[in-house]
Amino acid sequence: MNLAEGVQIVSFGILAALMIAAALGVVLFEKIVYSAFLLGGVFISISGLYILLNADFVAAAQILIYVGAVNVLILFAIMLVNKEEVFKPISGRWIRKAATALVCVGLFALLSTMVLATPWNLAAPITAPESTLILIGKHFFSDYLLPFELASVLLLMAMIGAIIIARRDFIPDIEAASSDQPLQTVWRLPERPRELTPTQGSSNQRK
Amino acid sequence: MDFSSNIATQLNAGAILPEGIVVVTILLVLICDLIVGKSSARWLPYVAIAGLLASVAALWLKWDATESLAFLQGFNGDDLSIAFRGIVALSATVTILMSVRYVEQSGTSLAEFIAILLAATLGGMFLSGANDLVMIFVALETLSISSYLLTGYTKRDPRSNEAALKYLLIGAASSAIFLYGVSLLYGLSGGQTNLDAIATALANGDGGESLGLAIALVFAIAGISFKISAVPFHQWTPDVYEGSPTPVVAFLSVGSKAAGFALAIRLLVTAFGAVSEEWHFIFTALAILSMILGNVVALAQTSMKRMLAYSSIGQAGFVMIGFIAGTDAGYSSMIFYLLIYLFMNLGAFTCVILFSLQTGTDQISDYSGLYQKDPLLTLALSICLLSLGGIPPFAGFFGKIYLFWSGWQAGLYGLVLLGLVTSVVSIYYYIRVVKMMVVKEPQEMSETVENYPEVRWSLPGMRPLQVGIVVSLVATTLAGILSNPLFTFANNSVINSPVLQSAKLTQPIAKAGISETSDRPIVQ
Amino acid sequence: MNSGIDLQGTFIESLTDMGISPGLAKTMWIPLPMTLVIIGATVGVLVVVWLERKISAAAQQRIGPEFAGPLGVLQPVADGLKLVFKEDIVPTKSDPILFTLGPILVVIPVFLSYLIIPFGQNLVITDLNVGIFIWISLSSIAPIGLLMSGYASNNKYSLLGGLRAAAQAISYEIPLALAVLAVVMMSNSLSTIDIVEQQSGYGILSWNIWRQPVGLLIFWIAALAECERLPFDLPEAEEELVAGYQTEYTGMKFGLFYIGSYVNLVLSSLVFAILYLGGWDFPIPLDRLASWLGTSEDTAWLQVVTASLGIIMTILKTYFLIFIAILMRWTVPRVRIDQLLDLGWKFLLPVALVNLLLTAALKLTFPMAFGG
Repeated sequence: MNLAEGVQIVSFGILAALMIAAALGVVLFEKIVYSAFLLGGVFISISGLYILLNADFVAAAQILIYVGAVNVLILFAIMLVNKEEVFKPISGRWIRKAATALVCVGLFALLSTMVLATPWNLAAPITAPESTLILIGKHFFSDYLLPFELASVLLLMAMIGAIIIARRDFIPDIEAASSDQPLQTVWRLPERPRELTPTQGSSNQRK
Repeated sequence: MDFSSNIATQLNAGAILPEGIVVVTILLVLICDLIVGKSSARWLPYVAIAGLLASVAALWLKWDATESLAFLQGFNGDDLSIAFRGIVALSATVTILMSVRYVEQSGTSLAEFIAILLAATLGGMFLSGANDLVMIFVALETLSISSYLLTGYTKRDPRSNEAALKYLLIGAASSAIFLYGVSLLYGLSGGQTNLDAIATALANGDGGESLGLAIALVFAIAGISFKISAVPFHQWTPDVYEGSPTPVVAFLSVGSKAAGFALAIRLLVTAFGAVSEEWHFIFTALAILSMILGNVVALAQTSMKRMLAYSSIGQAGFVMIGFIAGTDAGYSSMIFYLLIYLFMNLGAFTCVILFSLQTGTDQISDYSGLYQKDPLLTLALSICLLSLGGIPPFAGFFGKIYLFWSGWQAGLYGLVLLGLVTSVVSIYYYIRVVKMMVVKEPQEMSETVENYPEVRWSLPGMRPLQVGIVVSLVATTLAGILSNPLFTFANNSVINSPVLQSAKLTQPIAKAGISETSDRPIVQ
Repeated sequence: MNSGIDLQGTFIESLTDMGISPGLAKTMWIPLPMTLVIIGATVGVLVVVWLERKISAAAQQRIGPEFAGPLGVLQPVADGLKLVFKEDIVPTKSDPILFTLGPILVVIPVFLSYLIIPFGQNLVITDLNVGIFIWISLSSIAPIGLLMSGYASNNKYSLLGGLRAAAQAISYEIPLALAVLAVVMMSNSLSTIDIVEQQSGYGILSWNIWRQPVGLLIFWIAALAECERLPFDLPEAEEELVAGYQTEYTGMKFGLFYIGSYVNLVLSSLVFAILYLGGWDFPIPLDRLASWLGTSEDTAWLQVVTASLGIIMTILKTYFLIFIAILMRWTVPRVRIDQLLDLGWKFLLPVALVNLLLTAALKLTFPMAFGG
């Protein structure tokens, strides 16, 4: 074993340990913000593994997309909906927890047995390509052309859908429309009515 | 450029012409809506319908194409895929017919609804022909994500929100499980994503009967069963069907399911050919559970949409019989039944939509005495429900007979008997609704029906609804009597598809290699 | 092509001559440029801080720092020393771990990005295949740190500032990346070395500034927003948010933010110089100059001159850009948050997309001029 291999093994060990620890943290922490931040740690560790696999472009893309976009969005959602909720402790909660743990450990045992027992059809050791970028590009424009193009339709639709769900619709006020002047429709925002300060004896309820 | 011209000659891109038409229609709908504005809602649905029909016509032209593989084996446009793509596209067409008025009345914009529905159709069509793991997954996600969006489309309705969230969470989990299973397949075959290549690699290598393959199989089936909502992966179905907009439910119960079945046939028959014993066994269990649970729980439902949800679970169970049979007759009976199911189920949903547009309710008890007020609606709904139950002169009867016959031929006696028993159960709950509508005396009319307004077909968006009802009514009635062309079509699509034919050739060999002591022959 | 000075090769060769294995020699080489770059970046920050004070003063017709050292050049050092010795306060009811981790997460990716900054043909820490893409993806980590510190401070101004900073960073990341993509498309490579090489040949005439005028503006606006410089310094807008996510920070943790923001400014200017101003290239092509003078390209003294001229050119271009950024600070008013997001999503993004498409079209039509 030369120096480079040793460094690779050590970095693999560190990255794997980091990833498992962070992933456990994501699941086990009570505070959801910690889970979200640790999720970023998991993503970064995975990108480290990609680098060890000579997939430099995928590693950078992993950081850009998962850490820079997905995780930031998750954090945004958590921080904007930062509502303190007091949960009543359920009696016998430990039974549920134990059952979940049992299922998870069982699944883990099954999958690890599978990984160890299966004779993986490993091809001959692959030499690192000259440029992963060119390789990926060639795949994108030959055998994976169709999924690549379909993904653009998928993303377009996801974007439109997200806008539809997030936008506030202007709908015609039905009461106003049915009154004397049917031509002049009053548009208002049905969602998020203006928050009224709760004054005593206020009958000025909008809905 | 050497590379690009070299690739371009091998693409055979004409095979996805029907999907290309759908993509163009999506863009057309979006851009027209953007430029013209609200007033385009009057004619946009017809643009979409024209596009879908053009796509079906293009599919017809591709029938029996000499070279079915396209995009370097990434997509297989054989006749089997054409049948399923046709079913998906037709179901979307009928769905658009019934959704025009519904979406208008719910106060949401129509153009985006149609665009998302078309995207879901596109995903379903690509899924029916996908021959590559990456393609399968991307197409599956296109279908799923569009379905989630459609489910939550009426966002001011909290039930729709709930349905969308449930569907999204369970769907994401099942996608993840499916992806895990498929990635195992990638590893077992030594880095192949093409289904044929995987089959070859698995047959040559020693990964053929390993634990890894078994787990891959179970995970893949979990993902597929979610799409076709087979018990025990059905939990989302009733809630989602109840909460989401009714046209979406109609599409989910026909188009999405047909795409799921197409995926099941292609993935399991091709890539998992080595373990066909195992997946036949798993699907037998799924079919038994679906038929029993779907039909029995449907008995207890009071909401029409929930009842149709459980009935669709049961119907999926029936269709699985044809799949398990694994013969030519089995597969073609699946296609035949799905084609008929398309019209009768969509017809039923169109009637439900019309009723709920008129009255605002979908409780079964509110249908009582409808005959006096709206004979057309009563007639259409009765015939569709009776056909779903499998009462003779209608199409559903012949579909079921064919399914059961092919199952019986293949030696699935227990399954067929169970199917017969559960369809008797299903007849009970279908007839209950019919009896409610037709037989009641005038004084027993429900309050809703008493206030039933006159149907004004001249209102915007009502005409397509009427067309939808009439078309599905005619199709359901006539497809039974004049079923021969459909029959030949389904048969040909199976016989002309090399995937199924070669699977049948290799299956006995593979079986002989795997389990010589097996005493339960699948193919007789 | 003139390969210039190869310090790494020479270093490793001399070590192997002394009987050390090549692997070990390479390992010994690795920390040297890293330390050098970290020191260089920090010194660069001191210079920028001094410049900022002096130029700001000039813009307001003041004198600025003048007592610490000649022309006040030691003022930034004094500032730094003050920060080091300040008491480190962690507010009560804050989250001490996240509070500490936040500034660190902001600073580390910025320093890491120096990996790919070339100062000459071989004067770069690593010439990665994915070069410039690493910079984009690393800079997307910083918002996490900002959110973290904003959240951990347990202060509404901090939280709002953190959210604003993250929103701003991810909004402007997209036009930035698209602008970079147009350049990358012309040079057929993501590697920073290749990008500069593609611009060499005809001196100032072959720089990307002429081929990408729109991309250049988009990049500059987006880069200013990424660095939270005026007119985009909303996350720490004093009038609204006290100091944004930095409100609760003192001492060296504040210092980290401070260093981070200035290092980021220098880094963005460096990248700008590489992408659009021809990196280390002299405005007149040096090899032609050499051939006019009748000296061979391989002459030792010429190589030394070329290398040092390359470093000087890179730094000069960078500081010229920093000068513009500082001038802009005193000439342009701050935008509102809605204007900021409108500008990013509704103007820069479409324009960047059009620019990308246009570049692709031009590349196909004129492969000679736009990198075939």
